[in-house]
Amino acid sequence: MNHETYGTGPGVSAPAPASHTVALKTSNVSMAFGPRTVIAPLDLTVNAGEFLCIVGASGCGKTTLLRLLAGLVTPTTGTLNFLGQAINGPARDRAIVFQDYGRALLPWRTVAGNIALALEACGIPKDQHRSKVEQLAATMGLSHAINQYPSQLSGGMQQRVQIARCLAQDPKLLLMDEPFGALDAITRQNLQDEVARLAQERNTTVVFITHDLEEAIYLGDRVVVLAANPGRIAADITIDIPRPRNQLTTREDRKFLEYRHDIYGLLEDH
Amino acid sequence: MTRCFKWLIDQSGAVAFMAGLLALWQILSYYELISPLFFPSPARTFSTLWTQLLDGQIWPPTLATVMRMVYGWVAASIFGVILGALIARSMLAQGLLNPILEFMRPMPASAFIPVAILAFGLTNQMSTTIIAFGSLWPVLLAAIQGFRSVDERLYEVADALRLSARERFFKVALPSALPDIMAGARVGLAVALILAVVTEMQASLPGLGQNILTAQRAFRTPELYASVIMLGVIGFVASGLLHWCERHTLRWRQAHG
Amino acid sequence: MSRKFLGLVLPLAILIGWEAIWYLAANPLESISRPSQIALALMHGLSDGSVLLLTWQTFESALLGFVIAAGLGVLTGIFLGLAPQLERLVRPTVDLLRPIPSVALIPLAMLIYGFGVRMESSIVAFACIWPVLLITIAAVRGIEPGLLEVSHALQLSTWQRISRIVVPAAMSRIAVGLQLALAIALVVAVTVEIVINPRGLGYGMMSAQQSLQFDRMYALLLWTGLTGWGLSRLSQTLIDHYSPASRAQLPRSPA
Repeated sequence: MNHETYGTGPGVSAPAPASHTVALKTSNVSMAFGPRTVIAPLDLTVNAGEFLCIVGASGCGKTTLLRLLAGLVTPTTGTLNFLGQAINGPARDRAIVFQDYGRALLPWRTVAGNIALALEACGIPKDQHRSKVEQLAATMGLSHAINQYPSQLSGGMQQRVQIARCLAQDPKLLLMDEPFGALDAITRQNLQDEVARLAQERNTTVVFITHDLEEAIYLGDRVVVLAANPGRIAADITIDIPRPRNQLTTREDRKFLEYRHDIYGLLEDH
Repeated sequence: MTRCFKWLIDQSGAVAFMAGLLALWQILSYYELISPLFFPSPARTFSTLWTQLLDGQIWPPTLATVMRMVYGWVAASIFGVILGALIARSMLAQGLLNPILEFMRPMPASAFIPVAILAFGLTNQMSTTIIAFGSLWPVLLAAIQGFRSVDERLYEVADALRLSARERFFKVALPSALPDIMAGARVGLAVALILAVVTEMQASLPGLGQNILTAQRAFRTPELYASVIMLGVIGFVASGLLHWCERHTLRWRQAHG
Repeated sequence: MSRKFLGLVLPLAILIGWEAIWYLAANPLESISRPSQIALALMHGLSDGSVLLLTWQTFESALLGFVIAAGLGVLTGIFLGLAPQLERLVRPTVDLLRPIPSVALIPLAMLIYGFGVRMESSIVAFACIWPVLLITIAAVRGIEPGLLEVSHALQLSTWQRISRIVVPAAMSRIAVGLQLALAIALVVAVTVEIVINPRGLGYGMMSAQQSLQFDRMYALLLWTGLTGWGLSRLSQTLIDHYSPASRAQLPRSPA
């Protein structure tokens, strides 16, 4: 099996280093549900174009953090800022990919219809829908299934549809909540590389949640470790591995293994 | 090919069964083993029906009954969906209205006919009101159920996309609730037909119901049967149309990977 | 706990408001009775036995028709469910007869039986047999094929097969069908009484209206609702108790 074909490819030149403009900033953000503090006051910064991975054990509040960033929940204390503007609620330039793809797609619309939903929401004129949908479907490898319903698709395909829909929003921030957790290993690897490539091409800022440490190191420019009870940042590690990355060689790279070793220890402690 | 063949066999078998029953009825009637008054032979019944169809006698009352049924049902369905959407949105509304709704669920709509007669007399208005009232409940209850069960996640997707309230309703809530609504509408249509017949009999309004009553009083049973058959046809066609509509709009439910 | 009280708010508010309007209005409409008068009329009717008599009359016809339909429907349904070739033969005829509104047969039943229990229960039976039949067929068809194989392997007689395997396996779904049919039975019975039969609650309401006893009319309406509600609660409790697996299998709907 040639992993190079799944990787982001040798033909793509090394990207410019992620800019140091702060895109996303949380200040003193905490989240409590009644007496239970899910997230203790935390500060987090994400630079523009950066691919940030957040890892942590179950219940450490990473999904809650993501939903705060999406604007679906309001923090108990603190503020969130994206591109200089306060996050008061959801916005179309902040797209969120849910973990339960089966519930996040409209079952009565085809793949094309689901992607078009984002175009409709963004007010894009109807005559442009068809070409944009076909483009996005091609990007995500969905062209052959464009007129099928979600129930006819495998899990991996459904998740691709969700990602395609999010891309249709042309987002500046892409939030992903353990998107590949329910998929088989091969599909997971394919999608990892596709997301990495897309983020790089479009220079999108990505916040990617996972419980899979290796996935986090493989994908991220930075890995933040979240400890549980209450949720707080235990570590913030910059991943100094060049792109494009490769499923086979990167995962065997000395630095990769070092990061894995170090962070694993942190996950264990907390 | 064998599937087509099998279907043909089934259909001809069923037709043969029906024909057999009719033949039996005809024989019993011919030898007067059953009362020719209560059970006129198929020959007499169908020839009466045929005559009525040809000379146009049966069409005005049929149309009257159909219009009555459709008006009441359409009004009730629209109102039921809108009201159902509103009630489902608010936990407060549900808490307040639930006992009343549960009380009305098993209630015979025809029990309100005396009240309706009091209010409107023996008029078309009384009939339309009762029909609409009766077919409202199945649609309303089904709509509430349907709108309540919209997956939270879909609403979050709608929020994340910043859909307007109108878009939320027409693109997410309504399609999601549609299977339940259509099931309720099917029951509502059956109720509408029943109440159309009942109110026609009650108030001597033009329609197949009144036809049946008139035929009974004059002991003209073939005509009675002819009208009953027409009612059966209306019921059959109406539910067939709805069933077709359901299959068409809900085809995504049949799709399997 | 507070949820239960919330549900009482609206009915109480309506009753109190209605009574208040009567008190305050200069020329109250005669035909819209005061809640207090309705309650009085109901108590009167209960105490002098007339309401209970009417209720019994309605139930008599409803239950008789129900039992006939249930018996015929379940037996035929089991038979047809186990013999799919026969079912395919018979099904189109059933599909043609089923949409006939039972009320349309009232004049015919009148012709044959005149007024009374037999006429009403025959209409009820016609209305109830179709749901029972169809649901029973579906229930029997839905039995795990493995169970039927076991019955073959054990070489059970037909009677044993039906009583030991088919009925218990299909019972919970059949029970839900019977519950539905019971509700239909009550509704149809009252409807027949409203239209023509001089017995039962429906007749009581019509005659109250015609003799301008509006309090009594509303009282009987309320009582009919309570009866229907009580019956549905009772049947639900029975089902929950004896076959809890059948809970929430079919949407409940009035006929």
